[in-house]
Amino acid sequence: MKDRKTRRAVDWGHLALLLLICGVVTAYLLDARATSLKVNNLLLVEPAAILALILAAAVLPQCFRRKPEEAGGEAEAAAQESWRQLGKVAALAAAFGAFALSLETVGFDVATFVFTAFGIYICGERKLWLIALFSAVFTVGIVYGYQLLVPYPFPLRVL
Amino acid sequence: MLDFSAVGDALTLLSSSYIAWIYLIPGLLIGLFFGAMPGISITMAMAIFLPLTLYMDFLPAIIFLTSIYTGAGFGGSVPAVLMNIPGTSSAVATTFDGYPMARQGRHNQALGVALAASVIGTLSSYILLLFLIAPVSAVVLKMGPLEMFAIAVWGMLLLGSLAGNSVWRGLLAGVFGVLLGTIGMNTAGYVRGTMGVPWLLDGIPTIPAMMGLLAASQLLNLINTHYLIEDEADRKISFARILDGVKLAFTYPTIIFRGATIGVIVGAIPGVGSSISNLISYSETKRNAPDGDTFGQGNPKGVIAAEAANSSSEGGAMATMLALGIPGGGATAILLAAFAMHNIVGGPSFIANNKDVVYAIIFSNFAQAILLLFVGLGFVYLASAVVRVPLRFLIPSVLVVSTFGSYAIEGALSGPITLVVFAVIGWAMVRYQYPVAAVVVGLLLGSLLEQNLIRTWQISRGDLGYLVERPGAVLIFALMFLSIGLTAFSRWRRRRLLSALTTEEIGS
Repeated sequence: MKDRKTRRAVDWGHLALLLLICGVVTAYLLDARATSLKVNNLLLVEPAAILALILAAAVLPQCFRRKPEEAGGEAEAAAQESWRQLGKVAALAAAFGAFALSLETVGFDVATFVFTAFGIYICGERKLWLIALFSAVFTVGIVYGYQLLVPYPFPLRVL
Repeated sequence: MLDFSAVGDALTLLSSSYIAWIYLIPGLLIGLFFGAMPGISITMAMAIFLPLTLYMDFLPAIIFLTSIYTGAGFGGSVPAVLMNIPGTSSAVATTFDGYPMARQGRHNQALGVALAASVIGTLSSYILLLFLIAPVSAVVLKMGPLEMFAIAVWGMLLLGSLAGNSVWRGLLAGVFGVLLGTIGMNTAGYVRGTMGVPWLLDGIPTIPAMMGLLAASQLLNLINTHYLIEDEADRKISFARILDGVKLAFTYPTIIFRGATIGVIVGAIPGVGSSISNLISYSETKRNAPDGDTFGQGNPKGVIAAEAANSSSEGGAMATMLALGIPGGGATAILLAAFAMHNIVGGPSFIANNKDVVYAIIFSNFAQAILLLFVGLGFVYLASAVVRVPLRFLIPSVLVVSTFGSYAIEGALSGPITLVVFAVIGWAMVRYQYPVAAVVVGLLLGSLLEQNLIRTWQISRGDLGYLVERPGAVLIFALMFLSIGLTAFSRWRRRRLLSALTTEEIGS
């Protein structure tokens, strides 16, 4: 599918997102139908799910676009930069997920300190003493601040 | 037009306790701070502080959130003037003349002009709201489930079709949001889509989902930006010159009035709002001004037109939210969520039963607008420092604040888990240009849509002839199609205006 000046490019990320949306919608529709086929159950869910799948089909061609051929070096550099940037986002998102899941097990104070320090490092700060100082001050501030405002107990390990 | 006994009750409500007032200045400051941070939207600021309002009474909670709304409306113009970066989407037109003024060393004057225009714009929009809210509520009270369903669909369609580059992606985002909003047990008692997770029986926790979609996802997007502002040269602020700018704005009442009127009308349409009103006001002022040729080269009239329109859109959006219970965008969606957190359902019955509270909200907004003038003066003086917060410290800190906030809602991990899941979904959707605001509104309206549709089905027993018995609903559906046509036109016009204005700016 290549010609001299353009090439057919698949936007894999967009395609994955679209498939995820379709997967969630289909699974939900099947689950709703398995619950009951009564009108009161499916009145909105079934037509909305079918509409979502039709709309996803309409968006699908946008995942396949013709793009101009770039010079080899430039394209490679751009791709490398993009992967590096994506890696940072993935690392921060993974750390964020781990932080959320570990709050009650390791304590809000420890989890907050570790995530803040790690997050600042991922975002580009390299002075370790500054990372440690900021994270410690921030953790103490946010834990005591929220304890004052919120009636729920926050499980803590050190503070 | 004005219910005087309710006005009296509202004044009593506001004067009986100082509690409603103490959140006003903190709210304005939070709004100014977040609005001035490019990439951090009004909605994001409100989403982050929404969980705090759970522990306030209803009126102070709404006053706090609307203060953030008011503050952020002006906050966005600070980086627009100083750095040519609109802090919010509604400050785009402010950059056209604000930044050239800054380049000419008139940034103090530009900030003063923007502040005064914002204050007057907000004030005039709430004056209009004060007189119109009672008649509007009388009309919408006559609406049944079918009419409410029609209006909810209308809002969804507008938001889905307007927010974003692709209509299909916008609509898909909206419908996806509606489906997510129906997960859990519906009004007829059927349980769907919970995957066996007990806390999903009540549906997806809306507030953490909203915080994830609107705030956390944007922060993940900013990770590769080291500094919002790299160039720090010559950004000193002169208080006297800011005051000169404030005085200058008062010499152009016609431009402010035109901008405020455009702002209220456009702001009241769900899905349109301030991001379009500032452009329309700017172009109308340019068209009518004798010195229209100097627009884009540092003409303060351009800044006044843009700021008067974007700040008055707040009143318009509030009218739609209060009268119909339909959020016009992200910020009013959060206000509606705050209503729900206090077990209050927005919409026609709310206005009819709580006119005093509605008037109290309007009066507090008068106070917010006047206070904004003073708080804003202090803020712009310090603004040059605020806009230079290094993102490497800001991103993890705001993520932690969001997580604490989402945990605080129910004291359970369901909040933080929802926050993370929707942050990732939101990040992916923003990356591929799906309007996350449409998912948020869908999520909020999903159960309302289903509830009203089931009620209509039960009343009509599935007979389509019921539509004929409800001419109001037919009228709404007709207006819906007309409005979609008009907004599609305004979207096309916005694109044309933007490209024309940008071309002119490049040319000049």
